[in-house]
Amino acid sequence: MEVKKMKREKGYTRKNFLKGIVIENPLFVSILGTCPALATTKSIEAAIGMGLLFTIVLICSNMLVSLLRKLIPEEIRTPAYIVIIATFVTIVKMFTNAFLSELYSTLGVFISLIVVNCIVLGRAEAYASKNNVFDSLIDALGMGLGYMLALITMAFFRELLGLGGFTFGKIFQFIPLTTLQIIPKGYEIKMFQTPAGAFIVFGLILAVLAFIKNRKAELKANIEKREKIRKAQEAKEAALKAAVNNGGNK
Amino acid sequence: MSQTGYIIIAVSILLALLVTFIVSFVLYRRTPVPKGCEDIKASEEKCSGCSHVECHFYQDKEENK
Amino acid sequence: MNMFIAFLLAIITSMLVDNVVLSRFYGICPFLGVSKKVKSSLGMGVAVVFVIILATVICWPLYNYVLVPAGIPYLDTVAYILVIASLVQLVGLFIKKYSPGLYKTLGIYLPLITTNCAVLGVAQSNTDQGLGFVESLANGLGTSVGFLLIIVVFSCIRVRLESSNTPKAFKGLPIALITAAIMAIAFMGLQGLFVRG
Repeated sequence: MEVKKMKREKGYTRKNFLKGIVIENPLFVSILGTCPALATTKSIEAAIGMGLLFTIVLICSNMLVSLLRKLIPEEIRTPAYIVIIATFVTIVKMFTNAFLSELYSTLGVFISLIVVNCIVLGRAEAYASKNNVFDSLIDALGMGLGYMLALITMAFFRELLGLGGFTFGKIFQFIPLTTLQIIPKGYEIKMFQTPAGAFIVFGLILAVLAFIKNRKAELKANIEKREKIRKAQEAKEAALKAAVNNGGNK
Repeated sequence: MSQTGYIIIAVSILLALLVTFIVSFVLYRRTPVPKGCEDIKASEEKCSGCSHVECHFYQDKEENK
Repeated sequence: MNMFIAFLLAIITSMLVDNVVLSRFYGICPFLGVSKKVKSSLGMGVAVVFVIILATVICWPLYNYVLVPAGIPYLDTVAYILVIASLVQLVGLFIKKYSPGLYKTLGIYLPLITTNCAVLGVAQSNTDQGLGFVESLANGLGTSVGFLLIIVVFSCIRVRLESSNTPKAFKGLPIALITAAIMAIAFMGLQGLFVRG
């Protein structure tokens, strides 16, 4: 009990939530769940829908796995998780079919493919099986939101460049149909709506992230180098002063 | 045959599948790695990208951390 | 004869024209992850072909003769993932026990196939489209061979990319994704191969 309390530092929940969005972003950092990320990001609405369904499945499976973590024997953990995840996906699929049929037909087979999404199984195995229900819930929320934001980022570029603007209300039909044309008709690049465009957008986003990371590492290295030089100089000066002082004493 | 009978059969087939899965999973884990394959270790050279939990490249990587 | 041609056409369609990776986006994770070496990508591809064909052969009767008569077709995803996962484990068990040579090349990729989208994706889309048994088999065969083809070609390109002079930020995955995009554009050209319907 002591050890557990020691481990829990202040602001752990916040950190736990934020890590899924930035530091351990499932799509852009861990490169997991790439299949739906490329397939369902033709429009921002589809991306939001996919992200929502994914988050719901992740939250449910993480919480149930965490609840059952002491009941499931060590040896059959993976089979149990797969069955749990598949059950939740089936439930979510049926709800989508009943209440958001437009979203259901847009995402198609990719709703079922949440079962084999590496993130859900990965979070169950790496986090929920070792932590309590509340922490698992926060972890799932963070990861799901991080994934959804990543999907929206990709969809933003693909819809903006491919169709020249954003359309809302097509998939979520309770929103009035609104179109926001930014690039005039005839100047959009249709290619970004095709599979090739998905690969390009994903590749470029990863390249930009790598660039930022490299730049940060470079800056850090530079600062460290300068610090080192400064310290060496200071030591030299101190030695010189000491020598002068010694000379004066003689 | 009545609908209930069909459902019972289907559910029992699903359960049989589940049992097959669990048994084969446990057996797979318990079977020793064949000779000459013990030294397959994680390496950045061979893969990157998918950090799959089931993959023992990934598991080795996690252990090394 | 006519049937045979239709079968062949279906295979070529799902293999080249409607390629799994480049136009349907199944199995991107292994496509990006296990394609650094030609040998490992070949192992992954062959394993996927084997499992997809077996899974198609089992899943179609399971859906049409068990789940539909019982009135529970909505449990298809659960049933399929169970079939695929047990198949993967059984094949792995068999290889581990009887063929160390095969284990060396395939063994490490087998557990990964359970969560390869391509396998479940093929089974599920066969069901969603309501294909018959022969069509499902053609779809499975074409899809899996298409996956094998693409992952091997891609790994050959990646081996050359390793030694080429790419900008620092593009090293690794970004340039691989751009390469995949160019391949996707090339495969788009095949869409005019058949006029369907």
